[in-house]
Amino acid sequence: MKRSTQALNRVFMALVFLFLYAPIVILIIFSFNAGTSSAVWKGFSLEWYGQLFHNRMIMQSVYTTLLVSILATVIATVVGTFTAIGFYAMRRRMRAPLEAVNNIPMMNADIVTGVSLCLLFVAFFSFWNDFADWANGAQSAIVLPYLSMGFGTLLIAHVSFNIPYVLLSVSPKLRQMDKNLIDAAQDLGCTWMQAFWKVALPEIKPGIVSGALIAFTMSIDDFIISYFTAGSSTSTLAMTIYGMTKRRVSPVINAVSTLLFITVLVLLVVVNVRDARQAQKPKAAAVELDERRSPIKKFAAGAAACLIVGVLVFTGRSGAADRVVNICSWGEYIDESLIEDFENQTGIKVNYQTTDSNETLYALLKSGAGDFDVIVPSDYMIARLISENMLAELDYSAIPNFTNIDDAYQHLSYDPENKYTVPYTWGTLGIIYNESMVDAPITSWSAMFDEKYAGQVLMIRNSRDALGAALMKLGYDLNTTDETQIRQAWQLLADAKEQGVYQAFVMDEVYGKMEGGNAAIAMYYAGDYVSMLENNEDLRFVIPEEGSNWFVDAMCVLNTAKHKDEAMEWINFIASTQANLANMDFIYYASPNKDALEEYPNYYFEQYGEELDQEQYEIIATPPETLARCTLYENLPENILQLYNRLWTQLGI
Amino acid sequence: MSKELIRLVDCGMRFDGETVLHDINLYINDSEFLTLLGPSGCGKTTTLKIIGGFLTPTHGDVLFDGVRINDLPPHQRQVNTVFQKYALFPHLDVYDNIAFGLRMVRPKLSRKEIDTRVLEMLEVVSLKGFEHRSVTSLSGGQQQRVAIARALVNRPKVLLLDEPLAALDLRLRKDMQQELKRIQQQMEITFIYVTHDQEEALAMSDTVVVMDSGRIQQIGKPEDIYNEPKNAFVADFIGESNIVDGYMRSDFQVEVNGRRFDCLDKGFAVDEAVDVVIRPEDIDIVPPEQGKLVGTVTSVTFKGMMYDMIVDFRGFKWLIQTTDHSPVGSRIGIKIDPDGIHVMAKSEYSGMFGDYSSFSEEYDELDDASVVLEEEESGDEE
Repeated sequence: MKRSTQALNRVFMALVFLFLYAPIVILIIFSFNAGTSSAVWKGFSLEWYGQLFHNRMIMQSVYTTLLVSILATVIATVVGTFTAIGFYAMRRRMRAPLEAVNNIPMMNADIVTGVSLCLLFVAFFSFWNDFADWANGAQSAIVLPYLSMGFGTLLIAHVSFNIPYVLLSVSPKLRQMDKNLIDAAQDLGCTWMQAFWKVALPEIKPGIVSGALIAFTMSIDDFIISYFTAGSSTSTLAMTIYGMTKRRVSPVINAVSTLLFITVLVLLVVVNVRDARQAQKPKAAAVELDERRSPIKKFAAGAAACLIVGVLVFTGRSGAADRVVNICSWGEYIDESLIEDFENQTGIKVNYQTTDSNETLYALLKSGAGDFDVIVPSDYMIARLISENMLAELDYSAIPNFTNIDDAYQHLSYDPENKYTVPYTWGTLGIIYNESMVDAPITSWSAMFDEKYAGQVLMIRNSRDALGAALMKLGYDLNTTDETQIRQAWQLLADAKEQGVYQAFVMDEVYGKMEGGNAAIAMYYAGDYVSMLENNEDLRFVIPEEGSNWFVDAMCVLNTAKHKDEAMEWINFIASTQANLANMDFIYYASPNKDALEEYPNYYFEQYGEELDQEQYEIIATPPETLARCTLYENLPENILQLYNRLWTQLGI
Repeated sequence: MSKELIRLVDCGMRFDGETVLHDINLYINDSEFLTLLGPSGCGKTTTLKIIGGFLTPTHGDVLFDGVRINDLPPHQRQVNTVFQKYALFPHLDVYDNIAFGLRMVRPKLSRKEIDTRVLEMLEVVSLKGFEHRSVTSLSGGQQQRVAIARALVNRPKVLLLDEPLAALDLRLRKDMQQELKRIQQQMEITFIYVTHDQEEALAMSDTVVVMDSGRIQQIGKPEDIYNEPKNAFVADFIGESNIVDGYMRSDFQVEVNGRRFDCLDKGFAVDEAVDVVIRPEDIDIVPPEQGKLVGTVTSVTFKGMMYDMIVDFRGFKWLIQTTDHSPVGSRIGIKIDPDGIHVMAKSEYSGMFGDYSSFSEEYDELDDASVVLEEEESGDEE
């Protein structure tokens, strides 16, 4: 009886640990995967670790994350500790409410903290910049700088959310401390300050250390608050990873995460082993005591810490330049060597940020947190931004490479006079299916609603695309504003969902599921199909006979951009045939540059020494006759957008 | 005998508009063992902190060797303290705790000198061989010794002790009392000792200062305090006392319960109402017919070397300590010798103490609960 309970206990414990650690184990395993998939094992490789150190965005954000975390931890620890001492010295009547106030930020939702800090910064900066305008105009003796969000605001935000944690961990240690200790030290000849350093500090040190560790972890971890306060020129690791989710998360992230995990693990082991050792031999002879007191050791530790921070600051500094351009794009959406080429050619420093969707970008711009110069939104969002007067007209004379852009991608519905945009890429939406899992080739959108494939279909988790598929199946216009048609489309979708057609509603989970053969049919973008094909050769792509959506992502400059000239230079650089070829090869989305699109097969041959499959090329660069069947999304009127949202919510995903 | 070292002149202390110390006047001689005795909240710890420099009096002066030291911070006073619960530094071992004060001395002492003096102190407090023990691994008594050694190592002129024995059990407390007295005599320095334990105060002190409600009630040698309390508070706080109403009919004649007793007191007005203190051990039991007063035994408690009896005299209950056993319900007479009677003028404390009507066997004035009380009152940090 007892033995069986014990066995049960062990099994239960094993399950708990499995539950806790299985995801990390999988992450570590797949960081060594030779393929790009997170579902299909293609053999052992260190490729991603190699790429990691050459991936400028990730390295830059790792660097930013470490620097901000370390600085914020140090500042918050010092400030928090002294605040705790201040609280400690207060009478209870005063202290209790103050401590309660201290606890609020910790329980507050991050989003509230983030947004409110963002508002504060924006409000303060706009006030300050107005003031600087006035002051600089009125006199010339002192030139006041203009301020914007960036590393400074990120650091302030991190310090502010870290302080409560330090306070919370130091305060109990102070309260546990015999309150006569400081008196006793003073009695024995110390001033208050000496008493604090010699007696109180060693007593509360465990609290300070654990407070600092929590603060550091919180900083490393934080996404939401950073997101709202980092401005356009800075990005933490979490923000970079999140930015990748619009397309797909690069396995490089597995490598970064593995390294982070191992670093933290090593830190924890070191700390624990040290603690255990100290607990074991408190009675060790005086020799050890002398060693512990050794000022050389302390000095060495201090020097090492200064050196690390120094190196971090210095390496950060060396990248600073007078001319900068702030770009916001999507994750994994540029061949990063282009950024370096551009910087080398022009001496302009590029701050390259990413977000995960047009809607997030829009929210970021509206909140005032996104003070970018160049953005790369999609067609319908461009129309919306233009209608809201948020974009600046481009100076096409500064963008000679615009002439390379194919006429087919100019004067499109979102920018009919072509005053605001230079296309970046274009592509089509279609159906991806697994040949071995369907009886006949898919040709129609009806496959997305067919009960025959119940449990095998992946619907896209995006109201416009999902309802779009239904509208196309019904033969309606993608941009219809007829409520009955939209409701009909919704009914189709809802019925299919009811019948169990959909295995899931997905965004980038589609990669793993399709590559791993876990689903038969999905709707997604052509370029992404090509990268899935690398991991599963049974996959096919079709633009259904009813037609489909095609999209253009184009570069625009914001009205509020502070570096318009640099923005034009960047746009011109990216519009070049060479840059278009590099990007097309990297992201598999079609180039709007006429020469680049035509030359791509040759470029491919030069790069890889093998012919590009013609079928594959036509999937990326949809031929004009197929493209003719496709429609761009237009910006829908507000009431229709609301209808979409309402119906989407009703669907209950 | 010896010269005056510390003097408090009209020292008062107010916290948040509440007076915790009324104008205290007190002088302390060199090499004296002086005890501040009183219940919790009486102001004894506050007085000690004023001398130690942890509190600055709201008004009045603190003189040390004739020099005003009100504004001198603790670390510049030739005074060291043994704190309640010792306040040893937990991150340092025994040696480093004791050496702490020596290391603060400027100009710096040589390593050798520090070593010599620490070992010397360890010897004084009988802790040789404990140098490198962690202080948290020591017993209460040992920690106490470390605290004393730490405070004495700088050779202060005055050692302040704030209820140093309160945390020890009874047996250890008795031993440490002896030990402290020995150390004080050996080092020939002034001890100012704070306690609420009257037995401790009587056993150790040269001078006892009884305090209550922020005022000094009586200063004197232990014998004087015990035998000639100034008022009902002191009489009750020091030992057990029956305090009864009486009238001074003439010098050396006091009337209690309608009967006249001979006494040694004089100088009161004729027929003045007074408080009469009769110590329970000063009452002799005699057969009823020989007794000046006759009463009924209402309870008897065996206390080892004697019995505690509560006797009812026409509604007033007295405590009598005797070696003769009388059963509950028996009628007994009592007799009191003139030197067993002490007459006090009426005071604000009259009628508040010395009545055994609600007698319980736990009559030791203060038990550990009061220690807890004291902590709550002296700080709001728990």
